[in-house]
Amino acid sequence: MKKALLVLSVMLLLVPPLFSNGAKETSTTKPVTLDVMFYSPELSEQYDDMVSAYFKETGVKLEITVLQTDYRSVLTSRINTGDVPDVFMSSAYADNSTYKDYVYDLTNESFISQIEPSALQGVTVNGRVLGYPFLVQSHSFIYNKKVFKDAGITVLPKTLKEFEDVAKKLQAKGIQPFATGFKEFWVLPQTAWQALAPSIGNYGGYEKFVASLNDGSLKFKDIKEMSQVFDLLDLIKAYGGPKPNESDFNDQTSSLATGKVGIIHQGNWAEDTIRKTNPEVEIGFLVGPAGQNAAAAGIMFDSNQTIRIAKDGKNLSAALDWLKWLTTSEYGKNWIPTKIKQMSPIKGAGAPDSQIAVETVGQLGAGVPGYPWFYQMWPTGTEQQLGSILQGYCAGQTNRAQTLDALDAAYSKIAKALQ
Amino acid sequence: MKKRTPASLALTAVTALIAILYLYPLFLVIINSFKTFSEITSNVISLPSSLNLSNFVKAFAIMQYPRYFLNTFIATSIGVVGVVTLSSLAGFKLSRTKTRYSWVVFMVMIAPMMIPFHSFMIALVKIAKSLSLTGSPIGLGVLYWGLGTPLALFLYHGFVKSVPQELDDCALIDGASPIRAFAQVIFPLLQPVTVSVIVINAMWMWNDFLLPLLVLSGSKKALTLQLATYNFFGMYKIDWNFAMAGVLLTLAPAILLYLSLQKHIIKGMTAGAVKT
Amino acid sequence: MTSLSKKKLNKAGVFIGFTLPAFLAILLSVELPFLMSILYSFTKWNGLDKVPVFIGFANYIEALTDDPAMLKALWFTITLTFFTVIITNVLALLLAVILDSDIAGKNFLRAAFYVPNIISLIIIGYIWRFIYGNAFDSFFAATGLPVFMLSWLGDTHLVLFSVVIVSVWHSLGFYLVVYIAGLQTVPKDLIEASMIDGANPFARFFKITLPIIMPSVTVAVFHSLSNGLKAFDVIFSLTSGGPGSATTTIALDIYRTAFVINRFGYGTAKSVILFLLILVLTFFQVRMFKQMEVEV
Repeated sequence: MKKALLVLSVMLLLVPPLFSNGAKETSTTKPVTLDVMFYSPELSEQYDDMVSAYFKETGVKLEITVLQTDYRSVLTSRINTGDVPDVFMSSAYADNSTYKDYVYDLTNESFISQIEPSALQGVTVNGRVLGYPFLVQSHSFIYNKKVFKDAGITVLPKTLKEFEDVAKKLQAKGIQPFATGFKEFWVLPQTAWQALAPSIGNYGGYEKFVASLNDGSLKFKDIKEMSQVFDLLDLIKAYGGPKPNESDFNDQTSSLATGKVGIIHQGNWAEDTIRKTNPEVEIGFLVGPAGQNAAAAGIMFDSNQTIRIAKDGKNLSAALDWLKWLTTSEYGKNWIPTKIKQMSPIKGAGAPDSQIAVETVGQLGAGVPGYPWFYQMWPTGTEQQLGSILQGYCAGQTNRAQTLDALDAAYSKIAKALQ
Repeated sequence: MKKRTPASLALTAVTALIAILYLYPLFLVIINSFKTFSEITSNVISLPSSLNLSNFVKAFAIMQYPRYFLNTFIATSIGVVGVVTLSSLAGFKLSRTKTRYSWVVFMVMIAPMMIPFHSFMIALVKIAKSLSLTGSPIGLGVLYWGLGTPLALFLYHGFVKSVPQELDDCALIDGASPIRAFAQVIFPLLQPVTVSVIVINAMWMWNDFLLPLLVLSGSKKALTLQLATYNFFGMYKIDWNFAMAGVLLTLAPAILLYLSLQKHIIKGMTAGAVKT
Repeated sequence: MTSLSKKKLNKAGVFIGFTLPAFLAILLSVELPFLMSILYSFTKWNGLDKVPVFIGFANYIEALTDDPAMLKALWFTITLTFFTVIITNVLALLLAVILDSDIAGKNFLRAAFYVPNIISLIIIGYIWRFIYGNAFDSFFAATGLPVFMLSWLGDTHLVLFSVVIVSVWHSLGFYLVVYIAGLQTVPKDLIEASMIDGANPFARFFKITLPIIMPSVTVAVFHSLSNGLKAFDVIFSLTSGGPGSATTTIALDIYRTAFVINRFGYGTAKSVILFLLILVLTFFQVRMFKQMEVEV
């Protein structure tokens, strides 16, 4: 008995120092490694560059897993098994609630004040900032300036009618007007929903619009402006070459770069790939038509890709330090404009020298409407599910009425996850 | 060599032609793995202008080939050895025990062949995590045991019927323990089906994607070749030149294994398939 | 008496010793996780929230009565399986007969047909996407044949065959091996006897060879049937289920339900339905084929 007590007391004496020792080691001496999960493998080189810069400056390592198509299933399974990454990515808007149980509230972090307020809209819920906007991106139609010039097109199109005229002119010159990108699940919705963006105001604004779709009081078949969407898709398909449903991102970028086609619907992120095929190409940004109203035609401009910090992670403070560095350090501020060559949400960050980014800023400055990516406000997964229904329309699987019904059916299935 | 008839020569020619056509997609992969990205996008079917190995060199480096090769090799070997051991033992005993009870056990053990993987993968990862089987190729290999055993068991179960029962009795009379008797007398006789089981499982584990992704993706050091290859296929761009080289680098060890075992595979399937 | 029961006990012990390890492995990796998943199928759960909500059979009722997209995917899966099972098995059997006969370069030819089977299906999907796209364009430029100008992945009807071609291309080698193995069990003297009788090669094949290798057919069809009904990987990378929903299989539908629209509980309910379907279909297939083995 005595012996046992002795052993116990010795153990009690030994254990606390062991523990505090261990804890100290992780916080001071042992280098911290942040466990990070990102998507966009096309940015791998830029991620690595940032990682080594941060390691050089601070000695903190980031171990980034970069995934694409299976990103969500892997993240879900890791969160489920309690293995939440210290830092991960998601969309803005709807994903604010998807990961609500796991993300850290950044509202009171000092560096948040360095972010452009407009970029924070998509990550703010009831005044709380739940994520860090990574990139500011824009999507609309991109055209090849030389092709337009050779075809004698001097006035850029703004309405559906004008787009059609341009397409006819290009075709007359033997140039395929559009490369559709319809094979990618994300290009179609981006193209389609842009045509609806100017009309959301008719349904009480974005929040009301999304809420009414979610509770079923608004149906796609009741949105008369859906005809603008179908008209636009029909136009692109009609002038989209012999295999409009097979055009993917690769096809779009390489055909535009080589001057095989005149117009694609893409975002500023496509420029890098376009230039890989043809570094000299001159490209520009067109507004997206919304029926025949030229004044409402605009570009889609938002920060959607969002960095989230795990609130229960053991490296929480290290993760916040990294975000702060990303926002305030010299390298961090220049990372997005000069290395990734896209637009940064940080106040006063330099502008990228890429043509599309420059034109985006120029057009918005000149009063062209910039619409938020409102389709990201729909419940998670809507983008892809509705996208494949629109793809079915383009492939002739469904007519307009059937497509509207299918959209409504799919939407209500997805919205059930919210109830 | 026997003399062949003209008819058989013609048949050979036709079949060879079909085989060449059959391999043409792979031929395309091979020729394009030597081209630059812009060469690929401008003309896919032309031969490469030079036998430039730089795609392979670059892919080899990006994929961290030696390390991930080792990981894949560890997971595959542990998986295959486990599957062969577990399923040969169980297949033999279940095949020899001709009771209703044994039949039920057999059915319960092969039914998983019909369960779609996606339906239970999250729960599987949960269990794996609680047993500390995630994050290492060794743990991955252990998880393969239960996933590969149903089909392997099915093959062994069929094959054992072609092994005369008197042999087990002889071995037992010698006074050896049942396991020893099995290992020394029966298992060598199962060699043909063992080869098939090895090939089927090795190919699958070497090529598997989703389970390694779920189990290993949190720890970069533990990834497999398949996951490394997959990274060439991005959403915004596919680096076709590296992707093609990466596919070939991943495929090469599997082809070598298949070719070295080819002769035995058919023998294994012979009795395995027939006697079920 | 005691020695007898001891012997019995001993026998049971050996039985358990041989089978338990395999049983535990299967339990751990498949059956336990599957049973856990079945529990989720009775809940409303997005796969992320900390607490799933129990909702009884609501997911099953929704799947069976209010999910036209799933029924469509189910129908496509059955169509796809029907074509792949028949084409794969007929071609594999035909090739097996040729490659089992007396022709030169047998081993090389067998290897040639087997190689696609060594590549992972996800990668195969990407390779064929490349072929149907870039390569076919180049073929058309080179030959002018209209077949290369068809929209193999963009036409909602044609795409079924594009998927069938890829699936068959991938799996043919495996079934070829199964059938060659089967053919090698056919006694040579039986064939020789029938040749003396003057039976023509077709009659010989259907009257003698086929009945003998029927067990191989049962296994091959069983295997291709259950793989066909679970088809996922190749669709995922080749067509992503499109255009529209034209090639969405039930497995892809389940995956999307669980991981894209985050209705994990509902997705699991659908997968239980799929499991039952596979179980029933393969059960009847094996029974039917086994009877054929007996009759002939």
